[in-house]
Amino acid sequence: MSTELPVNGTQESRSETFAVKVGLARMLKGGVIMDVVNPEQARIAEEAGAAAVMALERVPADIRVEGGVARMSDPQMIKEIMEAVTIPVMAKARIGHFVECQILQSIGVDYIDESEVLTPADQTNHVVKHPFKAPFVCGCRNLGEALRRISEGAAMIRTKGEAGTGDVVEAVRHMRTVNAEIRKAQGLTEEELYVMAKEIGAPFDLLKETAKLGRLPVVNFAAGGVATPADAALMMQLGCDGVFVGSGIFKSGDPLKRAKAIVQAVTHFNDPKVLADVSCNLGEAMVGLNVEKLTPEQKLAGRGW
Amino acid sequence: MTDTTTKKTATVGVLALQGAFSEHVQLLRRASALITSPYSLNFIEVRTTEQLATCSALIIPGGESTTMAIIAERNQLLEPLREFVKVSRRPTWGTCAGMILLAESANRTKVGGQELIGGLDVRVNRNHFGRQVESFSEPLKLSFLGEDEKPFAAVFIRAPVVEALLPATKGNPKAEEVHAPSKKPAGELEAKFMDEGHVEVLAEIHRRGHSKKGLDKADRPQEEVEDKERERERKGDARVVAVRQGNVVGCSFHPELTGDVRMHKWWLEQVIEDLKRREKLGGEVV
Repeated sequence: MSTELPVNGTQESRSETFAVKVGLARMLKGGVIMDVVNPEQARIAEEAGAAAVMALERVPADIRVEGGVARMSDPQMIKEIMEAVTIPVMAKARIGHFVECQILQSIGVDYIDESEVLTPADQTNHVVKHPFKAPFVCGCRNLGEALRRISEGAAMIRTKGEAGTGDVVEAVRHMRTVNAEIRKAQGLTEEELYVMAKEIGAPFDLLKETAKLGRLPVVNFAAGGVATPADAALMMQLGCDGVFVGSGIFKSGDPLKRAKAIVQAVTHFNDPKVLADVSCNLGEAMVGLNVEKLTPEQKLAGRGW
Repeated sequence: MTDTTTKKTATVGVLALQGAFSEHVQLLRRASALITSPYSLNFIEVRTTEQLATCSALIIPGGESTTMAIIAERNQLLEPLREFVKVSRRPTWGTCAGMILLAESANRTKVGGQELIGGLDVRVNRNHFGRQVESFSEPLKLSFLGEDEKPFAAVFIRAPVVEALLPATKGNPKAEEVHAPSKKPAGELEAKFMDEGHVEVLAEIHRRGHSKKGLDKADRPQEEVEDKERERERKGDARVVAVRQGNVVGCSFHPELTGDVRMHKWWLEQVIEDLKRREKLGGEVV
């Protein structure tokens, strides 16, 4: 279960704008954010109870198969999805591609995901996210990466997991790594925290704040490989505030039924009876790729610095 | 607590289907430490009808109203919630998405409309100010907290406004609006908590809604071709952002996102008054 994220934490008191950005992330907590590639899928996601949708041209599973450079989606297609639903609409920009971010902001996207699922546009730098009015969510594999993204202005964090595989093992690894590093930081003296900040490449103040809170100082969702209600509840019990489901829904046999079941599983993540109920007769799950069988080059999580 | 044995326990619930429920629980705990109560107050997250049945009062938090309505329906909570608010007339407070659910009518809902609980005879306009990039924070004068109180830092996130106070006898609803089913109070006692037809405006904001220019259809405020009565209700360009009708309170903004505990404290005081009044009239605390 996630540790309480204190109201009006120090991150939010940095600026009114940042508080408003974090505010929407707080409103999404306990919810499921679903990848959709067209207005029809967006409507199915909304009817299933998604708290938001991620509009993109190809789900990660297809990006893997088709290869090529994966870029920001056609703004026209994102706009059509924004017209189709009343829930918030997110969209992905390439790592470091601040112009894609400017475009997404200008069409009124509610959250921008600077995402390793797309082909990075910059091998060194991430986007400086503070100047944008639109809030950002970014992926992480460990605490240092999460705090670097928050320092750059991300108002929400998600695990990277391994998108498009339907294998939850990497999301679990990333969440457990973040949790273990936070527990370690909690046991350190101030002197030792300086050393840890250096080691994990995180700003000291953010690390100190995280140690004090016993959790990341912004909302933290699970992502990358969630395919079943049980996977979603697993990530919630590991301490995530909510769940992104990418390919897992629309690459499965019965998307509406599976989407509804995952929404129920996130609300009732601590109630095995409900979880058993919603796991029945869901039809085929997405086929899935074993992360173990991927070569390092095939893994998306390694993108981002 | 030394005196818990002598005090009756009253449970205040926060609907925890989705959204910022943890924030409300945190603020309720902090607010309760600042008031003296004849009851021992217990705060819980509500996900099931059994949990709701133990509550004397309820907060419906911010989040996505579409999502919450769907999850409530799927968990057979919609009718029990309507009973709680409109039949038992228990104190209920909705913030942002929560206020939408407590409205008798809403527009700009998803395709096919959405379920409402109702309780406030108002029509809300969802996402009145626009999408997230139009979200903002603004100091707001809340005179019900006390005339000399400093302004409240109100955070508006994809926020709705109350665009009309509805007359007791409702006209023909428009196609794009959705309505909550009507309910009668359970009995004489409950009816005393109703204040039928009297919606009190608690706060207004002077700010323009989202302009229609260059916006996608979903973001446009409903066409402003309404009758004079509505114009009068609007009082110029002021928008109603907090209302109360009997035991039901709604606000467009998110007191749960600020460290300011005053509104939670005020609401808990109203809850305690309600419980005292119920006991005096021979009703049950729980």
